[in-house]
Amino acid sequence: MSRHPAPEELLLDYAAGALSDGPALALALHVALDPESRQTVDQLNAVGGALIEGEPEALLDDAALERALARVSKVMVEPRAVPSARRLGFEWAPPPLVPHLRPGMGWRRILGQFDEIRLDVPGDAYRVSLLRLEPGRGLPEHKHAGYEYTVCLQGGYTDATGSYSVGDFAVGPGGERHEPIADPGEPCIALIVVEKPIVLTGPWGRWLNPLVSRGIIGRGDVPALNV
Amino acid sequence: MLSADEAADLIEAIASRQDRAAFANLFRHFAPRVKAFIMRGGTDAEAAQEVSQEALIMVWRKAASFDRSRASAATWIYTIARNKRIDLLRRGARPIDTEDWLVVYAPEEEDAGKSILVGQSYTRVKELLEGLPKDQLVVIQKAFFEDKTHTVIADEMKLPLGTVKSRIRLALRRLRQELEKDES
Repeated sequence: MSRHPAPEELLLDYAAGALSDGPALALALHVALDPESRQTVDQLNAVGGALIEGEPEALLDDAALERALARVSKVMVEPRAVPSARRLGFEWAPPPLVPHLRPGMGWRRILGQFDEIRLDVPGDAYRVSLLRLEPGRGLPEHKHAGYEYTVCLQGGYTDATGSYSVGDFAVGPGGERHEPIADPGEPCIALIVVEKPIVLTGPWGRWLNPLVSRGIIGRGDVPALNV
Repeated sequence: MLSADEAADLIEAIASRQDRAAFANLFRHFAPRVKAFIMRGGTDAEAAQEVSQEALIMVWRKAASFDRSRASAATWIYTIARNKRIDLLRRGARPIDTEDWLVVYAPEEEDAGKSILVGQSYTRVKELLEGLPKDQLVVIQKAFFEDKTHTVIADEMKLPLGTVKSRIRLALRRLRQELEKDES
């Protein structure tokens, strides 16, 4: 199966620190699971290091070092950091995801079709969710008004653009219809980061879109509308 | 000047014995450079100094997590400064803990995490950057200095998104090829 890396321009956005928290989390998970993308990010970080080394020295005020020394005299050097421990029930979650998993978090069944955990990530421009699909099950056919970033964390799924397995990254531009189906084997779990509300195009959509547009059900009540 | 090895020695001295003199040396070298780097994006001197100050204090706190076999001191400090910039300048009132990135996720295959760049001096990377065609270099610099996504860069430079993407990809391909050539 061919690998689906994040596009390099997104790896640059990530390494430069330019991404919002939602997309940055998607990239962090992909980079944690994909050695080649991690190497590209290492290279880009080294570019950042070289740019800092190459800077002329800006003037610091004289007292800056003294203030810093006074501060560090009160700050402990912390023990070596270790990756966050895997969380019971979330063994598939790579370390960068673990801090986002709060106690008591559990899957919610949506439309009788798939499960969702909505993550609380700062910034309101993106919706960040974990989705779980049983083998052979799909998401309602939908299209995106904005960007969508997907990282596969367990199992795999297939849509018109290809087959995706653990660590694979997909970026969906607006306006494309697609309908991912979970592959056979263990349930497919993916992180989905969506920029803007989307429009359902399948039978579900014809039924749900009017309800949403009239505010009878909120977009937040029907996660499928935002995936 | 401080060589890459000297800088790594200083961080290790902080880690092993809370060495204040080592911190002072590291601070004298990096704090002004981090400040200059942050100011490139249009941040005022005062805010840039705060980012720089907080980044170097984080270097002290996290010194034990520095691994010279994975990244050079400058690269590691870059990643810290980048995250401090996000915390202090962009995220504003809602700081969240961005410390998890300090831990490079160790993959099952041990060698996969080893960066080919560890042996590279910053001068080599700098030289490669300077060897890039101007139009590619500008895009890379804008991303790092101005903390902007490629989409925003395309917008600001009034370039088609595809043009910006291909400049980034060409630049990265070039960097990778040269660095891998150095390695072998």
